[in-house]
Amino acid sequence: MELNMNDILLFKTDIRTEGDKQLIAKVMQEYKIANWTVDQDDIDCVLRIVSSQLKLHDVIDLVVHNGYQCEELT
Amino acid sequence: MRIRDVNKVELVKEKAIELLVKVGFEGFTMGKLAKECGISVATLYIYYKDKDDLILQVGMEETERMSAMMLEDFDPEAPFAIGLRQQWKNRANCMLENPLSVQMMEQLRTSTYQEKIFERLIETFKATLGRFMHNAVKRGEIEAMPLETYWSVAFAPLYNLIRFHNEGRSMGGRPFVLTDEILWGTFDLVLKALKK
Repeated sequence: MELNMNDILLFKTDIRTEGDKQLIAKVMQEYKIANWTVDQDDIDCVLRIVSSQLKLHDVIDLVVHNGYQCEELT
Repeated sequence: MRIRDVNKVELVKEKAIELLVKVGFEGFTMGKLAKECGISVATLYIYYKDKDDLILQVGMEETERMSAMMLEDFDPEAPFAIGLRQQWKNRANCMLENPLSVQMMEQLRTSTYQEKIFERLIETFKATLGRFMHNAVKRGEIEAMPLETYWSVAFAPLYNLIRFHNEGRSMGGRPFVLTDEILWGTFDLVLKALKK
């Protein structure tokens, strides 16, 4: 399996509940971001987006603007 | 473009199996796994979407690897005694060499991942072993019986010996090591029970 690692964007968030996830789902839909997942089992609620177009700060701005914490996962 | 690092993926798989057996599905976290592997959590998320995805992928790959080992050099058209002996040899080798994988597969079998992981595999196994049994019936080597009866008589004794061996003790805590003598002695009894 080949993966372009530069296309995988990872963030620490507080998208913790099912309600939080639904809200983010709406935002993602609005911005036509299709390939995203949140690991709600994880303490950092890791948001994972596969996109060759988006930049880290685009996503951080978008998520923070909607009321959630979001920083790059390193 | 960077390519998935095969060595790192193998390390992750190995450590994931160890950790799953040690702490179970509930206790398993991406953070703990990253620490065991000496890599960052972010690296894990490059390969896997989330914990569920990781357990599913690792579980499926390992189950497929083990199944391939179990069917190696096995010919469903072979005479009954030879075919069954090959099955015993493959299963014993596979399970004795990979005790952690066997434990993980047991955990998966009783989990919500069960359906996704074993569905496809069970079909292959049922088809190959079913054909082997039907051939033996057709040739008059064994009596006709439900596949479940056949499977229980043919393999449950082996699985039990391996369980005793992996736990290092048998009934009432008696120390136990599986020797070739015990293994093939038990096989002869199983063969006697099944053969006409």
